[in-house]
Amino acid sequence: MMEKAKNRYMKRIKKLTLFMLLGAFSFSSCEKDNDETTVDNDAPVIDLSGDAFPVQCSTLKRGETFTFKTKFSDNVELGTYSIDIHHNFDHHSHSTEFEECDLQPKKDPVKPFLFIKSYDIPSGQKTYEAVQQIEVPADIDPGDYHFMVSVSDHVGWNTIKGLSISIVE
Amino acid sequence: MKYSIIYLLSVLLITCAYAQKKEFTLSGVIMGADGKALSNVSIVIATIGHSSKSDHAGKFSIAGLPQGKHVVVLSHVGYIPEERTIMMESTPIDLGAIVMQKTNYAIKQVDVLGEIYATTPAGALNKELVDQQYIHRHLGGSLMQTLSRLPGISNIGIGSGQSKPLIRGLGFNRVVVVEKGVKHEGQQWGADHGLEIDQFATGNIEVIKGAASFLYGSDAIGGVIDIKPEPLSEKESLTGSLNFIGKSNNSLYGTSANIQGRTERWVYGGRVSYQRYGDYRIPTDTVHVYDYPVLLHKRKVRNTAGKELNFHVNGGYTTENFQSVFYLSNNSAQSGFFANAHGLEPRRVDTELHDASSRDMQMPYQQVNHFKAINRSSLKIGFHRIEMEAGFQHNFRQEYSQYVNHGYMPPVYPDNMKMPSTLEREYDKKVYSLNLRDRFSVGQHTFVAGINGEYQHNRIGGWSFLIPGFNQRSAGAFLYDRYRLSEKASLHGALRYDYSHIETIEYTDWFPSVVSEVNGVTETAYLARANDLQRTFNSLVWSFGATYDEGDFSMKANVGKSFRVPIAKELAANGVNYHYFSYELGDPALPPEQSYQFDAGLSYSKGKLSLELNPFYNYFSNYIYLNPTPRHDHFYGAGNQIFEYTQSRVLRYGGEIKIGYRFSEVLSTELLAEYVKAEQLSGSKKGYPLPFSPPASFLANMSWEPSTGFLEDSYFAVDLRLVAPQNEIVPPEKKTPGYKLVSVQAGHSLMVYGRPIQINLQVQNLFNTRYLNHTSFYRLIEMPEAGRNIVLSLSVPFDFTNKRKS
Repeated sequence: MMEKAKNRYMKRIKKLTLFMLLGAFSFSSCEKDNDETTVDNDAPVIDLSGDAFPVQCSTLKRGETFTFKTKFSDNVELGTYSIDIHHNFDHHSHSTEFEECDLQPKKDPVKPFLFIKSYDIPSGQKTYEAVQQIEVPADIDPGDYHFMVSVSDHVGWNTIKGLSISIVE
Repeated sequence: MKYSIIYLLSVLLITCAYAQKKEFTLSGVIMGADGKALSNVSIVIATIGHSSKSDHAGKFSIAGLPQGKHVVVLSHVGYIPEERTIMMESTPIDLGAIVMQKTNYAIKQVDVLGEIYATTPAGALNKELVDQQYIHRHLGGSLMQTLSRLPGISNIGIGSGQSKPLIRGLGFNRVVVVEKGVKHEGQQWGADHGLEIDQFATGNIEVIKGAASFLYGSDAIGGVIDIKPEPLSEKESLTGSLNFIGKSNNSLYGTSANIQGRTERWVYGGRVSYQRYGDYRIPTDTVHVYDYPVLLHKRKVRNTAGKELNFHVNGGYTTENFQSVFYLSNNSAQSGFFANAHGLEPRRVDTELHDASSRDMQMPYQQVNHFKAINRSSLKIGFHRIEMEAGFQHNFRQEYSQYVNHGYMPPVYPDNMKMPSTLEREYDKKVYSLNLRDRFSVGQHTFVAGINGEYQHNRIGGWSFLIPGFNQRSAGAFLYDRYRLSEKASLHGALRYDYSHIETIEYTDWFPSVVSEVNGVTETAYLARANDLQRTFNSLVWSFGATYDEGDFSMKANVGKSFRVPIAKELAANGVNYHYFSYELGDPALPPEQSYQFDAGLSYSKGKLSLELNPFYNYFSNYIYLNPTPRHDHFYGAGNQIFEYTQSRVLRYGGEIKIGYRFSEVLSTELLAEYVKAEQLSGSKKGYPLPFSPPASFLANMSWEPSTGFLEDSYFAVDLRLVAPQNEIVPPEKKTPGYKLVSVQAGHSLMVYGRPIQINLQVQNLFNTRYLNHTSFYRLIEMPEAGRNIVLSLSVPFDFTNKRKS
């Protein structure tokens, strides 16, 4: 009799511990979203509307200086940005944009224009209008180019726009 | 530190010299509930760690047992382990017929009596065990996709045939894959590199969920996938099998044929596997790479076809007390990458070329060859079992892509370059490894003492640069002790010391970059991307656990420290990954990653019900990861965002629940749930999770296995998987919505000319659901996962044994 009672007691304890642990486990699984308010999960935005330049399918002139103008914004704080202009004579890739531009026939590069530069944005900015004077040398190959703009925010979220542009005589 | 190694080695030597007392034999016959003999059942004398296996008639005999009380544990995949206590007095003991009952859930497990000695001495850690039958039932595109059905396991995949394991959200170099006792070494660090393992050529697979550094050394900080070789043949036999597989989604066909035999003492065997597949289909005709819509031809992911050819040969000598088997294998595979995006970079595609055939592989594609030579030997001397694995591996991977001048590379690929203009990357890795272990017992202690050594020789090639070449040597020694407090309770302890040395090889760009610009005058230079860095690491780790079994109820707990030596990429990366728009920077001063983990396991199994709960709690004092910074670099980084390797404190917790219930002899259900939460506690990403965190998921299975009539030896099963959305992300990840997936499995064993032909049918993603997998490589370009896939496999066994005898 004693043995039986003991067994029953043991079983009850076992069941109890099991359910308690199960409960604790499922509880810990539920409290998951409590930190989400403190972290920034939004990437910065590149706004190509209005008087932004260049935009998809824009044309630049060789030997002239153009003004790069684009608005960046972020929900918390912008980081830095960079501009990369490289040739697309071999049509190796396409832009990130929906609109297709008329491309010239494929050709071999001789002296393609290459422009790579990164820029700081004053700290604490949520919106920023980037304005840069960029000179297109007179002796480079005209043709299809990619104009890449990359902007980051303070935690490393990054947004890239790859624009198809052309450089003409 | 040095003394502990000397101590370990001397313990090993001294105990080898122990003499034996009076010895007796224990024997018996094992059968299933149907009266059929069960072969290959593991019989372990738990008190002393002595082990054996039943033969084809179910018989076993263990000689050389000392007088006294012993606990005998019988275990077999798919059966409930049996435990007997015997008293060895002055005569041999015959246990007679022992009947083993089948387990009542689809996933086989052995962790109720976890310390089964022929397997890994993982102590009180959680283990999952799968066998070939499980693999055939749930066959995915690759071994890791197949295993990802297990709770706590997921995979990082690219395309339909490549993937690598994630255990509780940790992957890459944080999971060790062991094949035939030797650590598999490929290019674990890269997300687009799969695991070079032949799904057909695996025996049982043990998955250790939790930090097992004490046993496997560096890298086992997240867990271990231990792929056993196929079991050796029975004496005087010659058997074979022929497997066929077909998949509808990517029009895959494959076959694997093997033959294996054994005389009294010589074993031999071989296998050839071949697979070829086309582009896989997804349930959409347009994929948006950024804002650019990519039209897919016939809903096929352009250029993801591939092929695989594997050879295996083995041969060896085996007796009761000695075994030595050589395994040679060569795994070669070629597979294409999605042509419209190389990495995250949008690519213009010659659709006419690519869409002409869905089975060809154009650029970009990867090609990998993995050669392995392994010797596995064991020797029983008295109560010592000495095991050795020696291995050589050669992993050779090439990635081909059209030359595109990124950053400051010259616009035209120079003629004087030695490597072809299409060879973008090449990794050439040679690895030599050696493991030695001694399992022995002294009183109530069962010890495993061992040493591991590895030497790696890595070289790189191709016109792009990500990681430098390097040489690495490492050595470790460990002692594991299981102390039996009583028949029900055991304590487990382990201590390990490791030494590791890495030297990276200098690398200089083959093209000049702009390094400064002052007043319109630009200066260029050939940039040194890697220096000849030398680092030495020492680590001491430990593990302590306890197990307790009380009838139907068992529990275990383990706490341990684990470590991981930083890899070459983390220390020495200094290059632009143009396909990710990132400039990756290593930190040569990084210390070894350290982690403390608590694991628990509770299980209850009685009658129709089985419950299992495996929670864990883990703290990293320094988790190393690639952190995207707000900065861009226009000199060394060619205008790209800087990603730098950094360390932060990380807290992780979660676990898995398994519930099995058998409604009747033929109908059963299984519920699996997994959850993991990771949070960075310091650094610039404080409050963020870790990258590649798998979302919580739940799997409900219903299985019907008729035991009588026409449908005898059949199974029908339905899996419903519910996956929660993943809203906890870290740059550059994207939030991934949740999804529901249904898959069905069925199979039948058909007797044709007295041979059981096993047919397995599976429909994965039955409703052709369009969903995104958070841990998939192509998640960042919004590529949905594969659509409906019908998988048919056929397995035909052959037995030449009788023919040869007559």
